[in-house]
Amino acid sequence: MSSALVKGSSAQATDTKPKAAIAAVPTFNNALSKGVSFGRVAVLLGLLAAQFNELVAQPALTLQTAVPVVAVVQVAYVVLCLPAAGSQQAKAAKKPRPGEKKKPEAAGTSSLVTALLALVLTTISTPVIHALFILFGAPLLDHVLETFLCAAHFALLGVFPIIYARGVDNQSLVAVAGVSAPLDETLGGLLGAVLGAWLGAVPIPLDWDRDWQTWPVTIVCGLYAGSCVGSWLSGTVFYGKRIGGTAPPAKEE
Amino acid sequence: MPPRSSKAADGLDFKAISKQFAKAKAAREAREAQEAEAVAKGLPTEKEQTAILEAQRDKLNKKRQRAYERRWWWTTGFWTFLLAVHAVGLWLFSSGFLLTRLVLEDKSSCAAPPVEGLAASQAALDVQKGCWHPKQFDRAVVILIDALRYDFTIPEDPAAAHAFHNSLPFLYDTAVKTPQNAFLRPFIADPPTTTLQRLKGLTTGTLPTFIDAGSNFAGTAIDEDNLLMQLRDSGKKIAHLGDDTWWSLFPGHFEPNISKPYDSFNVWDLHTVDNGVIDNIFPLLESSKDGQWDLLIGHCLGVDHAGHRYGPDHSAMTAKLLQMNEFIAKVAGSIDDDTLLIVMGDHGMDGKGDHGGESDDEVEAALWMYSKRPFFGRTSSEFAIPPATAKIRPVNQIDLVPTLALLLGIPIPYNNLGKPIEEAFAGQKGNNWANLAAVSRLASAGIERYRQSYFKARGIHQTTEPGSPAALWELANAAGLKDKDAYDAFTKFEDEALQVYKGLWARFDVPRMVAGVFVTAVGLVMLVMYASKPADEEFVVANDAELDYAERRLELMNLNQEDKEEHPDQGYHRRLLGGLADARVLFVVGVLVAVGVYREQPLDGLAALVVTLLITGVISSLSTAGKTLANILPKTFWGWLSVILTLSHSIGFASNSYTIWEDSILLFFIATFGVAVLISSFRIESKIDRTMAIYHTITFIVIGRLASYSKLCREEQMPYCTSTYYSSVTSSTSAPWQLVIPFAVFIILPDVIKAFLLPSKSYESLAPTWIGYAFRGSLFLSALYWTIDSANNGGWLAERFSESTLKSTGVYLAQTILALSLIVGSTSFAWAPPNISILSTQAKTGQLVTILGYGNAMGARYLYLPLNLLAACILLTKPMGSGALALMMWQILCLVEIIDLNQLKSEAIGPVMLAVLGNFYFFKTGHQAVLSSIQWDSAFIPLFSIRYPWSPLAVGLNTFAGQIIAAASVPLVVLWKVGPKQRGVLEKSARALAVFIAYFAVEALATMSWAGWLRRHLMLYRVFCPRFMLAALLLLAMDLVGVLVSLVGVRTNTMAVCEVFGWVE
Repeated sequence: MSSALVKGSSAQATDTKPKAAIAAVPTFNNALSKGVSFGRVAVLLGLLAAQFNELVAQPALTLQTAVPVVAVVQVAYVVLCLPAAGSQQAKAAKKPRPGEKKKPEAAGTSSLVTALLALVLTTISTPVIHALFILFGAPLLDHVLETFLCAAHFALLGVFPIIYARGVDNQSLVAVAGVSAPLDETLGGLLGAVLGAWLGAVPIPLDWDRDWQTWPVTIVCGLYAGSCVGSWLSGTVFYGKRIGGTAPPAKEE
Repeated sequence: MPPRSSKAADGLDFKAISKQFAKAKAAREAREAQEAEAVAKGLPTEKEQTAILEAQRDKLNKKRQRAYERRWWWTTGFWTFLLAVHAVGLWLFSSGFLLTRLVLEDKSSCAAPPVEGLAASQAALDVQKGCWHPKQFDRAVVILIDALRYDFTIPEDPAAAHAFHNSLPFLYDTAVKTPQNAFLRPFIADPPTTTLQRLKGLTTGTLPTFIDAGSNFAGTAIDEDNLLMQLRDSGKKIAHLGDDTWWSLFPGHFEPNISKPYDSFNVWDLHTVDNGVIDNIFPLLESSKDGQWDLLIGHCLGVDHAGHRYGPDHSAMTAKLLQMNEFIAKVAGSIDDDTLLIVMGDHGMDGKGDHGGESDDEVEAALWMYSKRPFFGRTSSEFAIPPATAKIRPVNQIDLVPTLALLLGIPIPYNNLGKPIEEAFAGQKGNNWANLAAVSRLASAGIERYRQSYFKARGIHQTTEPGSPAALWELANAAGLKDKDAYDAFTKFEDEALQVYKGLWARFDVPRMVAGVFVTAVGLVMLVMYASKPADEEFVVANDAELDYAERRLELMNLNQEDKEEHPDQGYHRRLLGGLADARVLFVVGVLVAVGVYREQPLDGLAALVVTLLITGVISSLSTAGKTLANILPKTFWGWLSVILTLSHSIGFASNSYTIWEDSILLFFIATFGVAVLISSFRIESKIDRTMAIYHTITFIVIGRLASYSKLCREEQMPYCTSTYYSSVTSSTSAPWQLVIPFAVFIILPDVIKAFLLPSKSYESLAPTWIGYAFRGSLFLSALYWTIDSANNGGWLAERFSESTLKSTGVYLAQTILALSLIVGSTSFAWAPPNISILSTQAKTGQLVTILGYGNAMGARYLYLPLNLLAACILLTKPMGSGALALMMWQILCLVEIIDLNQLKSEAIGPVMLAVLGNFYFFKTGHQAVLSSIQWDSAFIPLFSIRYPWSPLAVGLNTFAGQIIAAASVPLVVLWKVGPKQRGVLEKSARALAVFIAYFAVEALATMSWAGWLRRHLMLYRVFCPRFMLAALLLLAMDLVGVLVSLVGVRTNTMAVCEVFGWVE
């Protein structure tokens, strides 16, 4: 999320006119994509469950080992399930809306290349998320590696699908940052990750002296659970719905 | 999404407004000229008409001002009622919960026994022979086994035995086998059963309460008369091994070379303290060490820690008790004939191994006394075997005090309420009634002496009816009683006196606590209803000068009709309070009070009932006014966020962890709000507004995190916290490098404030002088003060100036700053014109008049008020805290900008975030929710000695600086970027203030409920009780600041602005 925020704030595009509505990102309507979409949630949560004891014992090492695995899972997921930014499918979704400006199609943009580009941008967004963790009170000088890896997982789960699907289109990213875009698997995953990580901080201060209270185990668990649940719910039940109540527009005159 | 262009035009584009205004003015002038021409032929001249209009306008303004003043008084009346409600609720709860005891300064002395005319054989008045009673032992060894419950020491049928049974048989066995050498009895603690409170009881002989109102409120050291003080004053030497709690209670009492304190808080460590005691005690018991000590205290913590860690029924407890058994046997073998050995527990433990409360298991400890030479007796053969349960023949823990004092030949401490233990004075045959009567008479006389002075000091009326201590005292002193009868009579007196004091001090008064919680809860419902947003409210910020002008003309034309119209909110507060004047309410209250007074009912129940009735009256008025109970429910995301933040903060107080880590949690809340508002800012349509909102939000979050580096850790946060507030953990002075901070504040802060005023063109009129010179000047003087203070502390200028020169320079400097910021500042605030400036330019169409600062006329001027307070608080806060408070002001300004840009002025989130910020900066200015973090030395910043009421005020400003600045800034949320023609400012400010106060009221209600509910919790006196006291004090302080600063400030501000622009409503 944060990467999107920062991009939005420094963006130069002119968008003072009323925004054209941003469409939701659909998943491909085929059996493979449905299966992968569901399978990803199972694989991620299964991975977390399987590695939980390792995570508690050696958070940094476990998170580090998991980064490439999760990256592969996520790349496979976006390539097989989501339309890449600027691709035909993405356009198709937007087409019915009148007044939409047509962009020249980027020639030869295959999904995989988009995914790799998005992965690079996601990597760049990781320090921003790291900073956000620190702003919420994470230690600045201690546990730097743990915090950074936690931020990397956050970026992979929450930010990567959005960049893949939205590209660097300023208008969409501002809509995503303002949560005024309609709910879909990508935005749901991000919101879920934010909420999950937020709730994950709740048990940290308790004096229960449990091993799993070590930084950043609860955050990682929260963000995985939140992202998976959020992505799943937004892809199915709440697909296309807009969160109107979270911001002033609802009560503007 | 609807566009926000109108907002941009209103709020930011001031030139445009001014142009419109000028255009309107020019048009009017032209129109008036035409009219004048038209009517010049015979009708009233233009001048006359203008004069009439002016007169009418004046009349209207005066009328409106008077109406405003009446409205303001009614508002203040309502707030005073609110303050009274809070005060009654807190009073009820505190009087049931915080039982106070007055500490008497008197000390017993060897030469002045409480009984006159003692024979020389009885009282030698000489420490060598025994002061008031012949000395029996030269020395004493006291082994305190923490949490030694009575049933640990008596035999249990092996079939039914638990892990804690039958492992410490030595005490029981010796008492049975050699009754003249030893006895074992249950030893009942007076709750609270925490070690610190127990040690107070075991050494002073009095009942501990949470607050011992005495001279030494700030520290933990005991300054009332006690055994250790008497020993030291008699020239005896005390050695101590084990739990370091003793050292904070009795600093300077222990022989430095042979005593060894050990850390008491590491509950997981079962052995370090015990091994330390065991290893160090035996060398001291060798005869070669004679004369090095007269009282040797060994305080073992293993049993207590085993209980906390595993619970009593665990093999670790068995091992620990077996170790203690062996240890005591070895000590008993090592002492000589003239040494008394005492083994005791300071409290018991409950089924889980914890303690602190007043359950039977927690108060039932064991006492065992041992002497190598036959000494102890039993007055009856039934007493030969130690009691089978703690319910039989128990001894009060305070009874140890007179017993040990008389046996060692020192005076009984003045405040003692205990009585001598029978076995120690009954003689070996158990029939020395003369001795028993003598010691009992001594102890009783001491109690009677204390009773007289305590009741006199407290002004309590004493009854003399049969059965009262006074009557029993008369009976016991009657002439011609046999020794045994006299002994019985004195014992009866002692028991009764103790009961009286227990009633006075040592019990929670649950009905009162419940009444307090109830009244506070009902008061909170009323407050929240008052603070809720009325369904029809529209707080539209309309800064349209043309519209204002048109309206004003209309008003003038309809002046006569307007006379009959009232302001829509004119009667609002009056009607609210009017609910109280209802004949039925008055009748019921009158009857209740009359009956209560006539039947001499207790005051508390009556007060609770009456206040509840009055609140109900106001609640029903509120419902009539449209703010129903259902209206409380939040309707927007921001409403929910406010409720979630408020409630989760307060619910967290039920857990000691969340109470301990409150500062980190508040930072988390600040960041949470920041992210929420960042998302909201991305939805702002106008690009400029959006960029500004995002910029201010990010600044807001980053400043919060930056400020979090100023911290003072509380004991319980260790080792996960590093204090940065002082130069080191053991010091309360600032590090030299921290002096950079006040100078940085002096250079940067005025420019930051200027930067917030410039966009609305409000850095006009007095602002450059006020902020750029006066405010900056006082910041510089504060920095100078702290430099002098550091120089004084560090002796940097010792060769050049004497300490007193530096001190007096500092004090006069501080007084100057306070006079400048508070007295001159407030006076100027009352008289200052608005921050506007009128610019006339020649344009093609005629003269153009531009009013700079029109759109923020209300807010920019009000800002002076928090700044005045800030200047005073920065002086009274240590250098690190001045940086924190400067950041706070920056954050507040960001907050009001964010609130304005996101149009959240009528949401609850603004005041709620101010409350969060206020609490956050309480921690960032070197405070914690513990008594020990109060910076008492701040009383001496502007004064040489304690002077009332100035010293408490200085400490108050230092302690609650964050919350006070936040409270004074609440109207800023409503007033910022609001022009002079805004309607309903007073009501909106009062409502914002109500939300702010509600945050603190919820905190007070939650902390009092948890403290009452968890009154048996181990952490009650360390965590829950101090947090309740903080919340209670804060609620009252915020009520006062809200009325005396914020509401008065809003009134002064509105009067000054409307003086210039005319009254709009």
